[in-house]
Amino acid sequence: MKTTRRTFLQVLSAGAAATWVGLPPHASMADVASANETEFFVFLIALGGWDVTLWADPRNEARGIIHPASTENTDTSQLTRWVDAPLAEGPFKTFELVRPRGGSHAFGPGIGDLADMVDRITVINGLEMNTVAHPDGQVFSTTGRHPEGGRVAACSIDTMISNEMGRHQLLPTVSVRYPSSYVGENLDRRVVPLAIDDVGSISRTLSRSPIYDASSERDRVTAMLSEEARDLAQRSTYPDVLEGMSLQYDALRRMLGGNLQDVFSAGGLRKAHPELDYKRRFTGGPAVNAAFAVEAMKRNLVRCVSFAVGGFDTHANNYRLQAQLQQETFGLVADLVKSLDATPHPTVRGAKLSEHTHILVVSDFCRTPQINLGMGRDHYPNNSALVVSPRFRANLVFGQTDRDQLLPQPVRRFTDGERAIAPPDLLATFLGAFGIDPRKYMRDGEVVRELLRA
Amino acid sequence: MRSLAAACLAALAACGAPAERVAAGPSAPLPEHGVTVEDTAPKEDLRLVPPEVYMRTYLRLFGGLAPLDAQKRARGADGAGLFDAWDDYVSALGFPDYRLDVPRLTQTNALMAATFERLGVALCDRALEHDLKAPKGAELPPLSERLVFAFELPHGAMDQAAFASRFDVLHRTFLGYPASLAPPERTARFFQLYRDIVAGHTKADPRSRFTPDEAGWASVCYGLVRHPEFHLY
Repeated sequence: MKTTRRTFLQVLSAGAAATWVGLPPHASMADVASANETEFFVFLIALGGWDVTLWADPRNEARGIIHPASTENTDTSQLTRWVDAPLAEGPFKTFELVRPRGGSHAFGPGIGDLADMVDRITVINGLEMNTVAHPDGQVFSTTGRHPEGGRVAACSIDTMISNEMGRHQLLPTVSVRYPSSYVGENLDRRVVPLAIDDVGSISRTLSRSPIYDASSERDRVTAMLSEEARDLAQRSTYPDVLEGMSLQYDALRRMLGGNLQDVFSAGGLRKAHPELDYKRRFTGGPAVNAAFAVEAMKRNLVRCVSFAVGGFDTHANNYRLQAQLQQETFGLVADLVKSLDATPHPTVRGAKLSEHTHILVVSDFCRTPQINLGMGRDHYPNNSALVVSPRFRANLVFGQTDRDQLLPQPVRRFTDGERAIAPPDLLATFLGAFGIDPRKYMRDGEVVRELLRA
Repeated sequence: MRSLAAACLAALAACGAPAERVAAGPSAPLPEHGVTVEDTAPKEDLRLVPPEVYMRTYLRLFGGLAPLDAQKRARGADGAGLFDAWDDYVSALGFPDYRLDVPRLTQTNALMAATFERLGVALCDRALEHDLKAPKGAELPPLSERLVFAFELPHGAMDQAAFASRFDVLHRTFLGYPASLAPPERTARFFQLYRDIVAGHTKADPRSRFTPDEAGWASVCYGLVRHPEFHLY
């Protein structure tokens, strides 16, 4: 392979990231796994594309093409952080910027209760998306690559993390309506995301009737099938799939042996985690996923939990509720962090789960700065993201957009010159925070050291 | 003009010449330069059957029922708890959800294996009840009307030969080819499974609705409906 200046610098950047977390520049998978075996991950996507002017990149004045949220287009009755502020023209009111105590940055009212945790969050603004199509934006935000001909071209961040650190977990990645993908080489079959529609379906899938046969009898069948798959793999030209099935049969035996069906019913989770709010209008359902994440991490069963909150695609009058949806979504993140604060780590004595849990929240893209004729906002190729992680610098807003058009602006010099930050850079930084060489999974993206804690 | 006449004469002469004879075979055997075995190895990795194909096959095995009818039959009215609802399983089976841009799953995972077990157990248990357990005073359905177990159980102890002929029926039903063409140890492996289950079931919970022999055949059925060859092609 021809080594260009760009590839040289990219390798250098990956090595620097590994050194950053105390690992050798070409840390092996085993090194990465053993250095991070106490870490857990939650990935959340706001499906539909959120309006960043209501939280991360707030705009409360009409300037350029920007038409700020106001009492004309937003239902403010349920917004706890909305304080009326005058608009230059017209009878309607916009919002006062939310300036959290101890924070160095202002937010929009959509940030909700997460504003109280400003010393724990990292916000990335001005993410260059180069797309306004939902599937493209979702895939780009979670894999760092645009789809090719409609097909996902790389594995998603949860799969990358699981492949490095989750192969020996019973549930490497549980993916609830998250755009998880398993694409690429050098991936272990055990980390294929366990994709489900809702967490309650896990317990229904794992429940068994004792009326006809005993669990030991079914287990005997599964053990035999694992043997069959292994034997077939030995005869096969391409043994990967069959070897993977053999491993999955073994994982199933452990899953059913652990009586997880009782633990992971939706009702059981609600009872176990009353600190989460299941009655919220938009995030009552996803709160069960958050409860699942806490419970599964507490029992050291899972490495990554990925889930989605829907309803952000507000092209029309439903934009009136975008701010409330954001408030509930960030409220859910805040509740999750509080719950993790109150939960002891399963393997690190004296540590809280929150000290070893890393949360990444993304969306498809953001919404137009203009209000359209339907009183909503359409798709726009800019984006923001949120990280809550002890490995990231907190109380930081990184990246920027221009004041008149809300478009991403160059933020630093990358190996290919000055430019705005993009999703591949954020994902590469996320991997780099754990000493994983991003080049192993990603074609693009550079580790942004400014985002990482020293 | 002169050259044209010469060409015509040449053409006429060629027409009158004797036809060239091509020998039917080589005058001497062709020398052998080596032997190459035909490469019949598959050139593509195994793939998971699409979830639609799995479901269609499942419904056909259940007697060609519509999805909701199969659900009703699998659930039964006896509180057995063998089946919930298709909605609970579709995402784990890998069906796409175009409302949410969720693509179809093309690889198996442990939860999918759990779902295959849940569905396979429901199918085998209900089929065994239908095929081999007649209600009191009623006859068993004729072989042609049985769902899965299209054979009679022997009256005495099951030896390997008696097992093999019946296993072949199930093997053809689920995997589509005779057991004799499968890897040689397969029949023996399933016979061992059958014997283990029969031996263990006598000590099992006496409230079980299956006799040891029935539990043995149900387990063989579980093994085939969850077999890697049932799910891959």
